[in-house]
Amino acid sequence: MIFSAAKKGVIDVWQTKRIIIVYYMASLLTGLLVAYPFSMIVGNFAGNSLMGKKLGGGIDFDFLFEFLGKNSGALSALGGLIIIAAAAFALSLLFLSGGALTVYVSGERYSPGQFWGGAAHYFGRFFRLMLWSLPLLAVFFCLQFLETLFVRLFFGSDPYQSITYWGGWVRIGLAFIGILLYYVVFDYARIHVVVSGERKMRLAILEGIKFAFRHFFSVFLLALLLFVSGLLLLAAYNLISDKLTAPSGFILLLLIAVQQLYVFFRMYLRLTLLSGQLKLYSQLAGQIFL
Amino acid sequence: MSFANRILNRSYFILILLAASTLRAQPVLFQKPLSPRIANYDIDVSMDPKSHLLKGHELLTWYNKSSDVITAIPFHLYQNAFRNNKSTFMRESAGSFGVKDVKEEELGYIEITSIKLPGGEDITKNMRFIQPDDDNAEDKTVAIIPLAAALRPGESAVLSFDFTVKFPQPPRARSGIKDEYIFAGQWFPKAGVYTDGKWNCHQYHSNTEFFADFGVYNVRITVPDKEIVGATGIEYKVVNNGDGISTHYYHAEDVHDFAWTSSPEYLEFKGKAENVDIRVLLQPDHANQAQRHLDALKTAIEYFHKLYGDYPYSNFTLVDPRRGALGTGGMEYPTLVTSGTAYGMPECLRLPEMVIIHEFGHNYWYGMVASNEFEESWLDEGINSYSEYQIMSEKYGPDADFLDFACCRINDIQFGRSQYILAPSTDPVIRYGWEYYSGASYGVNSYMKPGLILTTLQNYLGKETMLKLMRTYFERWRFKHPKTKDFIAVANEVSGEDLNWFFDQALYSNATLDYSVEKVTTTDLPADKGYDFNRAVEGAVPPSTPAQSEKADSAKTGGTVKMYFSQIDVRRIGTFKFPVEVEATFEGGEKVREKWDGQDLWKKFRYLKPERLVSACVDPDGKIPLDANFTNNSKTVQTQRLGINKTSAQLLFWVQSLFDMPELLNLVTFLTALF
Repeated sequence: MIFSAAKKGVIDVWQTKRIIIVYYMASLLTGLLVAYPFSMIVGNFAGNSLMGKKLGGGIDFDFLFEFLGKNSGALSALGGLIIIAAAAFALSLLFLSGGALTVYVSGERYSPGQFWGGAAHYFGRFFRLMLWSLPLLAVFFCLQFLETLFVRLFFGSDPYQSITYWGGWVRIGLAFIGILLYYVVFDYARIHVVVSGERKMRLAILEGIKFAFRHFFSVFLLALLLFVSGLLLLAAYNLISDKLTAPSGFILLLLIAVQQLYVFFRMYLRLTLLSGQLKLYSQLAGQIFL
Repeated sequence: MSFANRILNRSYFILILLAASTLRAQPVLFQKPLSPRIANYDIDVSMDPKSHLLKGHELLTWYNKSSDVITAIPFHLYQNAFRNNKSTFMRESAGSFGVKDVKEEELGYIEITSIKLPGGEDITKNMRFIQPDDDNAEDKTVAIIPLAAALRPGESAVLSFDFTVKFPQPPRARSGIKDEYIFAGQWFPKAGVYTDGKWNCHQYHSNTEFFADFGVYNVRITVPDKEIVGATGIEYKVVNNGDGISTHYYHAEDVHDFAWTSSPEYLEFKGKAENVDIRVLLQPDHANQAQRHLDALKTAIEYFHKLYGDYPYSNFTLVDPRRGALGTGGMEYPTLVTSGTAYGMPECLRLPEMVIIHEFGHNYWYGMVASNEFEESWLDEGINSYSEYQIMSEKYGPDADFLDFACCRINDIQFGRSQYILAPSTDPVIRYGWEYYSGASYGVNSYMKPGLILTTLQNYLGKETMLKLMRTYFERWRFKHPKTKDFIAVANEVSGEDLNWFFDQALYSNATLDYSVEKVTTTDLPADKGYDFNRAVEGAVPPSTPAQSEKADSAKTGGTVKMYFSQIDVRRIGTFKFPVEVEATFEGGEKVREKWDGQDLWKKFRYLKPERLVSACVDPDGKIPLDANFTNNSKTVQTQRLGINKTSAQLLFWVQSLFDMPELLNLVTFLTALF
């Protein structure tokens, strides 16, 4: 069931490729919001220097330390911009998810009217849903502190460093699981809103929780499957990008192409998860809409 | 004389006899003393296993080797820095060492319960606290005791102290106790140094603490049987007292301090390097790093021996501080230092190696040369940082001796410089330790900047000359408390050059060294417009090769070959004047090297060549790490879009990835917290 949902997701998303492109563009534009000013700062600082030339080869730590030390004001402003861009990206995904779900629920081919109409139609509800989901995010985020509690209970306040070290990894794992669970609940709540037309978002979030925990194994495994696929994709990217270090314009173009292709596939995975979850929802909740 | 006094007198007589007989039983480490042996200590100390209080009895024998008559002896009571939150140490440490929220039960102290003369006369009441540095009446880290009789040159004074020490728990800085772990540094009443016709006995400061006379130490440490003890000097006997308590007998010669540690949890590892017996006391958590610690210590011993001279002591102990007691880490004492690592420390991060090499190095500069760290900390920390940079680079390679992980490759010296460039001119290097603008400024001016100064000097003088300089300084001044002027005198002598111009700027002023290429231009000279080469490019370097001359002649006579006039403007931005090289690179790859004495505020280099100028660079070989800005050292005629675009593309990618998977931040935070 999980694999068939994932497979259906892969196929459906590929058949509506334009949605991936829209998602990718959202990522690119918000990224550029940060990267462009950064490029200006670096250009002003080292654009006409041999240090700038060395950057074509790889990270130069003399440059990095000087750049960070001597541009602290500009970098602080950039830090603020990163937060704004991150918020913009999150909101844009929230907005676009309404369109994507509308298209996937309809089972029809992509049409701009349906996609953007769906996006606009559900944005208000999804935004409220997000606000309702924040306490849930807090709860899931705190899941990682189970490790702290466990260590305190069994090893006291002064555990050996090995306990702290491995406990730290466990905490990281729990944090990932917590965030994954949050995304899962939030996704199913959104699916519920689109499928049922639910207008009360506190009820939608409850439905999301109920569904996710009633079918915990399936929904969690599907999310995990695609999460692991994402990690494999990252590993593949690293393997390739490690080879692309030579200071030449062609290699740089190749690197940028590989990087953006990676981001494109990340967006593909993100939509595959959404579409796969929809398939799973239809199978497990008995909803017939596909 | 009362009966009680007579008894006391007899007790003291017996005590001195016992001490003398014990002395005879000590091993002799050096047939001929290496140092003047001015301050000599015979100490019995026992630790109460429950309260962790130390009870000590100390016999100080101080020789007046000056030409003055001495009437009083000041001595350090370092642990009183932790007596309250108003001591000079605590005031200076506000916000650091975790002293801000210190609770009363966590404080420490040293209490002198009695001071007696050999005749038994109790002179405790004559002791008074003094504050030679800041008149802070709340500070009780230095006390002075008037002598019953003036001490003429060549005479000696014997003082007997009874004292109690409570260490800070947990350790805030350098010394302290954390559960079963105890690290005892600066724990006994220690005499000041009589030098330049006066006593030099500074209070315990947040930044600095060391200056003492050499001597012989006989210390008997009584602790429970289960404890594993490490200390300065050699352990020549352990006596089991039969009640679950053992006494460890330690002896050290020609050292100026004594530290010890004990913990039942230590794992002991042994090794040997250059005939020095190595002992590593590791926390159980770090057992799998034993070989790493031994190797780093062997590296340190071998390199220091090879570079600077003989390590005369027969043993060395490396102590790994307990978790929660890292305040005692990275500290140096004679023949014993503390390191610092963490469970899971990756091999690619050579932090333990760096700390071990640095701390061992102190046994040369702090331990044997023994300059005044209170007043000229650079002579210890700075020279030692320079040594550390050299050894890290030689041992682990010049490209990534500190961090070698994937694309992150950082050198020790780069790491040091990263802190220096943030505040290159806040203070001059030479200041009393507590007079720097901030703790960060103390750090930069005592460690990193002097390390960079000496590396710059090495590149200026040449490696061989610098090695000879350092070796001469070490051999000539060990066991003698040299000052900065002594180092400079050796530098001038060995280099055969008056280097005062360098040291005046580098050590006694806050001058910043920063040269930059301000502008590079290259323009073609249109020959067909009757351009007068000789006038228009006055001062330009004429064509240097016959082929170029031919091209120039061709251009002058209206030929087809173009000539280019290129100019490089170099500026001295900082006030530090230093000779620099400038390299001009032309199309076709020709490189022209120029020398500039760097005295003026700017210098223009002009060229008339058939090739365009591509770039110009000050200090092209990177011989001046003291330069506070490398980025402005060069200019290119064309904008380097490739590098800028690559950096921006990388950032774009990571921003996109982070926005897509914000949970990655969690991992980054964890890894940062871990190391």
